[in-house]
Amino acid sequence: MKNSVESRAPVINTFLSLLAFMWLFPFLFVVFNSLKSGQEYNLGNFWDLPTTFSIVENYEYLATKIDLLSGFMNSLVYGLVAAFLAIAFSVLAAYAISTLNIRGRLFWFLLIYSGTIFPFQMYLIPTFRFYSFTGIYDTKFGLIIFYIAICMPFCLFVLRNFFYTLPKELVEAAKMDGAKDLTILRKIYVPMAKAPIAALFLFQFTWVWNDLLFGMTLSKSEETRPIMASLSMLGGAGNNIPAVLLAAFIASIPTLVIFMVLSKSFEKGFIISTK
Amino acid sequence: MSLTNEISNEPNNKGVQKKPISHSKSRKNRKIEWTPYLYLLPAVTLSLLFFIFSIVFTFFISFTKWDGVNDIQFVGFENYIEMFNDPNFLIACLNTVIWVLGGLIIPVLIPLILAIAITKSRFGSAFKNIFYLPNALSPTIAGIIMTVLLSLYGLPQVMGMLGLDSLQTNWLNIPYVNTLIMVASGAWQGIGINLILFIVGLNNIPTEPIEAAKLDGASGLTLYTKLILPLLKPTTLIVLLMSLVNSFKTFDVIWVMTGGGPYRTSETLAVTMYKEAFVNNELGYGSAVAIFLSIITLAISWFFLKDTFKGEE
Repeated sequence: MKNSVESRAPVINTFLSLLAFMWLFPFLFVVFNSLKSGQEYNLGNFWDLPTTFSIVENYEYLATKIDLLSGFMNSLVYGLVAAFLAIAFSVLAAYAISTLNIRGRLFWFLLIYSGTIFPFQMYLIPTFRFYSFTGIYDTKFGLIIFYIAICMPFCLFVLRNFFYTLPKELVEAAKMDGAKDLTILRKIYVPMAKAPIAALFLFQFTWVWNDLLFGMTLSKSEETRPIMASLSMLGGAGNNIPAVLLAAFIASIPTLVIFMVLSKSFEKGFIISTK
Repeated sequence: MSLTNEISNEPNNKGVQKKPISHSKSRKNRKIEWTPYLYLLPAVTLSLLFFIFSIVFTFFISFTKWDGVNDIQFVGFENYIEMFNDPNFLIACLNTVIWVLGGLIIPVLIPLILAIAITKSRFGSAFKNIFYLPNALSPTIAGIIMTVLLSLYGLPQVMGMLGLDSLQTNWLNIPYVNTLIMVASGAWQGIGINLILFIVGLNNIPTEPIEAAKLDGASGLTLYTKLILPLLKPTTLIVLLMSLVNSFKTFDVIWVMTGGGPYRTSETLAVTMYKEAFVNNELGYGSAVAIFLSIITLAISWFFLKDTFKGEE
């Protein structure tokens, strides 16, 4: 039995290696071709290695088309602020739903959770109209507040489940000592939920960073436009392709860093975002 | 903790739920305490403002004609009737079906096969990271990279060099072929999560029944079809549900790769909704498409989750 398994190992590894090469090929394509100059790419052969080092020229070309730096900074702010506040609001709500003395626990949960039950297309028109009406269309405030709302349902789902698993004796003991609800939340619940909160923060930041649909719908100027909406205006092919690939690479840096941080904790099979 | 575990926790939670910790001490103190509700205030306010308001508003607008500038005109079911007579909508439905069928095969079957191979390989975790890597890119960026790779100076040029001149065209301009290409591009970017779920599922399968079956002489394919795959069913159901719902939601990849073109032939319902509402300013019609999309995704989610809960009981 054991022998037959071992004799199959090279077949499996070869099969995986071939597919792994296919999976990595687009990455190699991006790295090599973002170094080329536009002319070199168009005139050269697909398999040619870059002969010039045109990153600076490509970046300068990009600057004439879109404001990548402003998109980058906007998305960084949106992601950090929205992920932080979405988690803060969800911690409060999850604590109330799981532990405090309130009525209609399931009702409150479903009310907030409704945000992920429906497809996002349901929220586009009303939010756009509402934003135009109140004058927060195309403002940083408008985008941040929407991202907070859309990130809450998943945070609430995870945190509520986590809080249910905490032993209730802790709360009762703290109550005996005269601790207030808010103190119990701050001193006992939040410290114990550090790991899921950290994971949620990374996932929600990534979600906001990757969002195209709402960024496109709720902004129009370079000052507020998030990075993916900005990238989508490049129009893909047709112009300077190495510059487009360079932009794609720059816009992936934060999520690639998060991937490297997370790949270590994958072994534990931690919470996996489903959005 | 995988999604499967989270969902299986659900029934237990309900048990806990019925027992709030701070019981109201006596009849005298029975008046409602308002402070606990303050904890809900920020989350509930935002949810009412963005989710509940939106759902009601979209539902209402779907029965009207509105361009966002002139007065709203109530037209009853006209948008819904128009929808089923609109060739663009019907093409979008067909494309959505292709996405869903493709989404059932490519992003479910490939990760399953990969997960089985990876759990058998000594270099499993390295391979796992490689296949997960595209997930660190956004769908928008994956779409841009694939568009470039498939444009004339990319892979089609290679086909030309191999003498396959007929393949040396812009593949994304061919109706229906472009949809399949986009399904595959989406799979390149997105199978990572499904792969991890399958690997976790495979690793959580108890070893005893498998050892016992091996002693009884079961091996290879029989072992998988009769024992391992049935044991993996809860994970498979979650992955199927996620792939289905994601197929209905796909927007980013299509938007950057074809924009729904050429001549609106590669639109899905999600793209059609956006175009009608924000390009053609048909807010009523766009809302009707959004409602149609919601009904389908909600029905599918309900169908799957109902089964999952039954399996857990």
